[in-house]
Amino acid sequence: MAKLTIPAEELMYPGHAACPGCAPALTMRLLLKALGPRTVVSIPACCWTVIATSYPTTALGVAVLDNPIEATGASVSGLRAAADALGLKDVNVVGFAGDGGTADIGLQALSGMLERRTNAIFVMYDNEGYMNTGVQRSGATPLGAWTTTTPVGGSSGGKPEPKKDIMGIVLAHHPIYAATLNPSFPEDFVRKAEKARSLAGPRFLHALTPCPPGWKYSSEETIRLGRLATDSGIFPLFEVENGIYRITRKGGALKPVDEYLRAQGRFRHLGDDDVRRIQEDVRFRWERLLRLEAESANLVNPGSLRFPGPWIGERAGITGTLEADG
Amino acid sequence: MEIRFHGRGGQGAVIASELLAQAAFLDGREPQSFPFFGVERRGAPVTAYARINDRPIQVRTSIERPDVVVVLDPGLLNTIPVTEGLKEGGLLLVNTRRAPEELPAPPSIRRATVDASRIALSHGLGTPAMPIVNTATLGALAGATGIVTLGAIREAIDLYVPSHPAENVRASEEGFRSVRVAESTAAPLAVSAGRSPALLVLPEGPIATTPSYGIHTAAWRSLTPVVHLERCTRCNFCWKFCPDNAIDFDAHGYPVIRLEYCKGCGICAEECPPRTIEMVAEG
Repeated sequence: MAKLTIPAEELMYPGHAACPGCAPALTMRLLLKALGPRTVVSIPACCWTVIATSYPTTALGVAVLDNPIEATGASVSGLRAAADALGLKDVNVVGFAGDGGTADIGLQALSGMLERRTNAIFVMYDNEGYMNTGVQRSGATPLGAWTTTTPVGGSSGGKPEPKKDIMGIVLAHHPIYAATLNPSFPEDFVRKAEKARSLAGPRFLHALTPCPPGWKYSSEETIRLGRLATDSGIFPLFEVENGIYRITRKGGALKPVDEYLRAQGRFRHLGDDDVRRIQEDVRFRWERLLRLEAESANLVNPGSLRFPGPWIGERAGITGTLEADG
Repeated sequence: MEIRFHGRGGQGAVIASELLAQAAFLDGREPQSFPFFGVERRGAPVTAYARINDRPIQVRTSIERPDVVVVLDPGLLNTIPVTEGLKEGGLLLVNTRRAPEELPAPPSIRRATVDASRIALSHGLGTPAMPIVNTATLGALAGATGIVTLGAIREAIDLYVPSHPAENVRASEEGFRSVRVAESTAAPLAVSAGRSPALLVLPEGPIATTPSYGIHTAAWRSLTPVVHLERCTRCNFCWKFCPDNAIDFDAHGYPVIRLEYCKGCGICAEECPPRTIEMVAEG
C-alpha cells in the first residue's frame, strides 16, 4: 500500500447529511485531519449545520458550537476568551462558515474577529451561493452564474456582478496567515491547514467547494471541477504569511476557462463573448497575483522595507485575545 | 399573570412595567418586565410588558394574550387595539375621568378606571400637557387586582424613582383608593394563576453527542461502487477524496467501501487512476 499522503485520523464521521459528492463535506474531513481532536468548531446556520447536527447526532468528533449566521467571527472570539479563561492553551478555535456566513452576512463579525487579533482560524467554505436554502446568489457567486435569484431568460443572463474578493478583504486586516484551499489538492490543503494550526493570531482559510446541485453538474465531477478551477486560474492556490504572498501551485500555462465553465449547468447559457470576458478577468487577477508574489518577496530582503507584524501580543507569544489587545 | 401597558412616550409606561416588576419582587414573587422596542419618541405610542409568577419565568417573548391591559392615555383607546388578545375575564384599566362602565370593551372583559392625570397633577407630577401618570395608575392596578401590595409599590418607588419619590408615593396611594371597578359577571382574575409555559430546558454540557455513524445513508444511493481489486494499485485516491468517509482499507491496504454509508456519488470511480472502480446500477 502506498504511504498515506494525508493524516489517517478521521474526525468527521460517516452518516452525515451532506448531498452525494459534497465538497464542503470533504473540506471538513481534510481540515480536521490537519487540526486534530483538540479543536472546537463554531458553525453558523449553513449547509454544515444540517450536515453535522441532525439532533441528537453529531457528525464531528470535536466540539461544535451552533450559532447564528452573522455571528461566527464573534463566537470564535468568545470561544478563545473562554479557552483562555479556562487555561486551555492547546485548543484550536475554528470558525467554519459558508460564503454567506463569511463574506456577506458574516462579514462584520469576521472583520471584528480579525481586527481584535483573535487567535483563531476562520474557514470559509465557498460554494458560491446560498445553497442550503435552495441556491440563491451571494456576494461570492461568480459573474454570469445562474442562481434562482439571478435567473436566465428575458432580460437576465445570470449574475451580472463579479465575485467578491474575500481574500482581498481579509488581507486588508493583515492577518498572520491567509491561504486558499482546494479539496481537489488534499496534500496542499492539509499542509496549509497544518501551517495555520502552528501559528498564533488571526488566520483565514478560503476553500473553494463545488456543489453538485447548486452548480448543476453530476456528483462524480466534484474533484475534477475543483482541479480545473485552480488550473485555469479561476481559483489560484496561494498563501500569504505575514504579508508575503506565495503561489503554491503553478502548473505552467493556465488552462482556458472554457472547460471549467462548460462542465457546469449554471454557466451553460454563456455565449462566447461572456466566456471571453470571464477569461480576461481571470487573466487579470492571475497576473496581479504573480506581481503580488514577486513584489511581496522583495519586502523580506534584509535592510529593505519589512512587514511590521506580528503584532505586540503575538510577538510576545501571548495568544489570548484580551491580553493581545491590552 | 401577564400585564401589558400602553402609553405614550414620556408618560412612563416602561417605568410603570419596571416598577410593577420591582414591587412584585419585593412581594417575594418572580417578575419580569421589558418594553417593546419601537419608535421611542415623546408622544409616540409605547408598549411595555410585565409578567409575575410564583416560579421562575422562562418565556422571554412579548405578551400576546394578557390577563391585564393598562392604558395610560385614554386617547390611545381610539388609535390602538388595546384590548387585542385580552383574555376573557381579564381586566382593562384605563387612566380616564370616565366611569368604567363607559369603556368600550366586550362584556367578558372586566373594566376599571382611575383619573390618574388629575391625581398626578395634584401632586405636581408632570405638566398639564404631559402628566406623569404611571405611579398613580400603578396604585390603581394594585387596588383593582391585588397582584401587588400597595406597600411594595411604595417601597419600589422609594428605591427606584429618582425624582419626587414622596409625591409619587402619595399619587400611588391616591390611585389605590380612588380606582373604580365596574360590576361584572366575568369571573374574577385568578391572581396567582398562570403557570409559566413549560419550555425545554437545555442541559449544561453537550446536547448532541450521538455519533452520526449510527445513521446509515445507503438508501441515498442509486449507483453502487464495485472495486475490481485485480487492477487496484492501492494508491488510496478513492479514500482520500471520499466526502462521506465511507472507504476503509483491509489488512493488505486494499480499499473496502462501507456500503452502509456510501451515497453513490461516484467520485472514487472518477478519481481512480487505473479505473478499477465501476458504478453499477442498484437492483
